[in-house]
Amino acid sequence: MLSDLLEPAARRVLALLPVLLGVSLLVFALTAVGLGDPARAMLGQRADPELVQQIRRDYALDRPVHVRYAAWMARLVCGDLGTSYHQQRPVAEIIAERLPATARLALAATVVAVVVGLVAGVAAALRPGRLLDQLLMSAAVLGISTPVFWLGMMLSLLFAVWLGWLPVSGYGDGAWANLVLPALTLGAIHTGTIARMARSTLLEVVRQEYIQTARAKGLAEWLVIAKHALRNALIPVVTVIGIGIADLLVGAPLTETVFAWPGLGRMLVAAVGQRDLPVVMGAVLVFAVIYVLANLLVDLAYLVIDPRIRRGR
Amino acid sequence: MKGLRLLSLLCLLLAAGPVEAQDGKPAGTLRGVFISDPPTLDPAQATDTTSSAVVRQLFDTLVELDERLQPGPGLAERWTVSADQRVYTFVLRPGVKFHNGRVMRAADVKFSFERAARGKRPWVFEKIAGAPGFIKGGAGEIPGVRVVDERTVELTLEKPFAPFLHLMAYDAASIVPRGEAERLGPAFASRPVGTGAFRLKEWRRDDRVVLEAFADHFRGAPHLERVVFRIIPAEITRFNDYKAGNLDVSDIPTGHCRAVKADPALRAQVAIWPTLGTHAVRFNVEKPPFNDRRMRLAVAHAIDPSAVVQGLLEGCVTPGKGILPPTLPGYNAGVTAPGLDRARARQLLAEAGFPGGRGLPAITYHFNTSDLNQRIAELLQAQLREVGIALELRRLDWAAHLKVVDEGAVTMFRQAWIADYPDPENFLTVLFHSRNVGAAGNTSRYRSPELDRLLDQGDVMPAGPARFKVYQGAEQRLLDDGAWITLYHYASRALIRPTVNGLERSPLSTAPEFLAPLRKVKIAQ
Repeated sequence: MLSDLLEPAARRVLALLPVLLGVSLLVFALTAVGLGDPARAMLGQRADPELVQQIRRDYALDRPVHVRYAAWMARLVCGDLGTSYHQQRPVAEIIAERLPATARLALAATVVAVVVGLVAGVAAALRPGRLLDQLLMSAAVLGISTPVFWLGMMLSLLFAVWLGWLPVSGYGDGAWANLVLPALTLGAIHTGTIARMARSTLLEVVRQEYIQTARAKGLAEWLVIAKHALRNALIPVVTVIGIGIADLLVGAPLTETVFAWPGLGRMLVAAVGQRDLPVVMGAVLVFAVIYVLANLLVDLAYLVIDPRIRRGR
Repeated sequence: MKGLRLLSLLCLLLAAGPVEAQDGKPAGTLRGVFISDPPTLDPAQATDTTSSAVVRQLFDTLVELDERLQPGPGLAERWTVSADQRVYTFVLRPGVKFHNGRVMRAADVKFSFERAARGKRPWVFEKIAGAPGFIKGGAGEIPGVRVVDERTVELTLEKPFAPFLHLMAYDAASIVPRGEAERLGPAFASRPVGTGAFRLKEWRRDDRVVLEAFADHFRGAPHLERVVFRIIPAEITRFNDYKAGNLDVSDIPTGHCRAVKADPALRAQVAIWPTLGTHAVRFNVEKPPFNDRRMRLAVAHAIDPSAVVQGLLEGCVTPGKGILPPTLPGYNAGVTAPGLDRARARQLLAEAGFPGGRGLPAITYHFNTSDLNQRIAELLQAQLREVGIALELRRLDWAAHLKVVDEGAVTMFRQAWIADYPDPENFLTVLFHSRNVGAAGNTSRYRSPELDRLLDQGDVMPAGPARFKVYQGAEQRLLDDGAWITLYHYASRALIRPTVNGLERSPLSTAPEFLAPLRKVKIAQ
């Protein structure tokens, strides 16, 4: 099976390169046409115009955009993401500091979303049209439509300020307690989508003839669902999980802001405000790589879950 | 029995006292908060208040300002000023140690000033003889900074400058150790070494900055053992963390001032004090329609700043008329400004050729992104509509706003100014002298030879009432010309736990980034 996976994996990794090139071109172009001068933003409200020009020269900001892009690309090929204008430190070092916090949050949010979403979806599908189904699906819609910022504040007020069970904010040296509320907040949208998708696909699958046959053999209902129905219902759910990675990335800056979580999303927002272009480019590139790799994992998961896809290749 | 009670009471009082070990060792932790991560801890590179708030704890300056903004000895134990007000001779304290244990010398002062002059705030040093040439890279040293001996530094100015001692108290003029700063290069920003009462213990980016007491500080060890600054960008999260007991000091969120003051659990912890900042509306006086004084005055007469102060800011800021805030030395209580008078506004509008606003194209009002600025802009839009002026609102983020304002691509815009040092020169000369047009501060692009003459005169006069009189004349001239409309003066709106003693509430200190020296702070149990 491993050899079946290697070739498609290699193809997809190769396909990553033009995607990353396109993303980097787009972001560089956007930063070039966007208002605001990195040199000016660096100096605060009172700036010496000569110093602004000097900084522009020092950072080659006075060069044409395509020349700057080519220089950035040349450094990138050598594994150098450049130096932050504001922090005067390598961008790779800045990103490496934040990446563990973002990865931890995204992973925890995915676990929350997958576990809660699947359980809720299956529970709803087992009793379609009943009160539990209606309650769960209403909660799923609520989760999808609630703004992350508002949900985060409400959870924080309830569990941290009023009940005092969890910390209000911060990374807390990696303590699990600090992770709970941000993960629940970030995972909420994803949870609702997975629950709805799991319910609808499971309802379709349980009507198939082979499920009727399994039941006719006298298998327990939980075994029918767990062994025969769920595996086939998972394919669309896995697709949703893959697409959901994008939601997590989009939602991360807001969640990280509400919970003062020292992650990449917050760093990117600050860097855009400061026009710290090397950091912006580096962070966007990392997001793009994560996004593409997440989709690659989803593709590979198809191959593992459904042998027909491997055979039909 | 009575004696026992008294003894118990005495014990209780002692137990509730400030945390400080009996041998005078530092004790207790102050839990503060910042809105953003400091970009740098190098005094030569800092341009923001968050960086300055940490720099002020890690480093010292030759001169320090007290709570009333009066200059006093810092690293310099005394100084003399020549009769022509141009030569300042500072005598350094003996035996002042850097955090690495080395003793500070006069050569460190010269090195620090020359290093910082080529940093991000060169204007702090530009009054020193020969500094402008050095800053531009044309000279190897600043000739006006002379090391007389191990403990004496002589600074010679191009021209007398009354607030020069204030500049020497500014954090850009912090003293750094030569060897360490040279060895570390840009890494000095992450591993700073100063003489301050605290040294850097830990900096976890976007999470927290931890300082620890420096026992060998020249004034003796601070009272606190540690200071922890959490980085919390959302103001409502800071507020929740304060309410949950996780912070000792914080700011009051926008729109919560009245509620917090009415909250029985919090009202005793509210601290509001005026600071050295002004929030205003400015015009580009080079572009129509505001190249016409009558149009500027029409807008000034159409705006009611009290609606901003009382309505949007719940009375938690200081109302004002003039450019200079009331806490600034040189403030003129008798200053007059065009107040709300809609009939006069309509009359001026008609005189300018736009009766009832007819023929006047919509004016674009630029402001930088924030909820408060948005609400103020909408209020101004409604107020101006009443006299026939249509306002279009244009919101940009800070970097973009700076760019369009600096380049004069705007006609009417929001501007706030917070003093770098407490002197009228820092408002009026910086914001209105013709040599500062654009990014240097004069974003109105105001050019008046008479005003320049007044400001030049004030800048070189010896400190005192006569000098302030000159600036007050300049301020009144600007207001009469409709060059600036003050909406309000800033106030620091803080929550401070009763256990925190000795936190200075200086007009230069704005919550949550307290710029005051934390060495005076004690934490009670």
